[in-house]
Amino acid sequence: MQLNLIGLACAAATFFGVWLGHVSVRKIERDVERIWIPSALALVLGAGLEIAAFRTSNLALSAVCGILGVTLLWDALEFYRQQNRVREGHAPANPHNPRHARIMATHSKATTIDWLDRDPRGIPYSNEELRQSKELPA
Amino acid sequence: MSWFGFSIGIATLFTIGLGFVWVIRGERYFGYLWWPYVLGAGILCVIGSVFFSNNWVSALLGAFGASLVWGSTELKEQAIRGELGWYPFRARKIRPPFADRIKRWRAPSL
Repeated sequence: MQLNLIGLACAAATFFGVWLGHVSVRKIERDVERIWIPSALALVLGAGLEIAAFRTSNLALSAVCGILGVTLLWDALEFYRQQNRVREGHAPANPHNPRHARIMATHSKATTIDWLDRDPRGIPYSNEELRQSKELPA
Repeated sequence: MSWFGFSIGIATLFTIGLGFVWVIRGERYFGYLWWPYVLGAGILCVIGSVFFSNNWVSALLGAFGASLVWGSTELKEQAIRGELGWYPFRARKIRPPFADRIKRWRAPSL
């Protein structure tokens, strides 16, 4: 029986594309002041991969380019979604990044606390608990 | 010129988008302790994809399996988001088999 490795290639492209995008968007948005630059790069690179997907005759390679391309195009948008999370206080702000410092000055919900750096406990947090953990360093 | 990769890319985008929905809903009603089952189902889909000779089926099953694997690593963080009040919280969850044993394992989070 002939095994079809296209699915395996697509799985690897999807998993590592999402993982790498997830980690690097967060890190780059945290460190870079002008996010339009990495966002534009992701846009160009993503579009380039889609063109490559059209041009190659190798089906597995075409699929991998197609998948990595759309994840990069999504990442271009995700830089701005991540900035919104920082404004909302859902992702930690980096006070050493001037853009984040400005966000912290103008958005009362912005914080350096990483709220997700904990284990689930099974019961919701009360407003009092949330207020206290915002005052205490995490 | 082949539409294959582009079409698979777009389909994968929607598969990942679907991931947002089932991670949020799934965690709300079932809880994050289902993660080993979701991880296992994802791995089975990826392994299963190599047995389909149809390239479209193989590619989509592989991408879907990978999105299940990724989603299994998101469930823990989603549980915390619910507890923090960022998403509606539901205390009564449909617990998975062996929930108490799974609770002692470290849930993956990437």
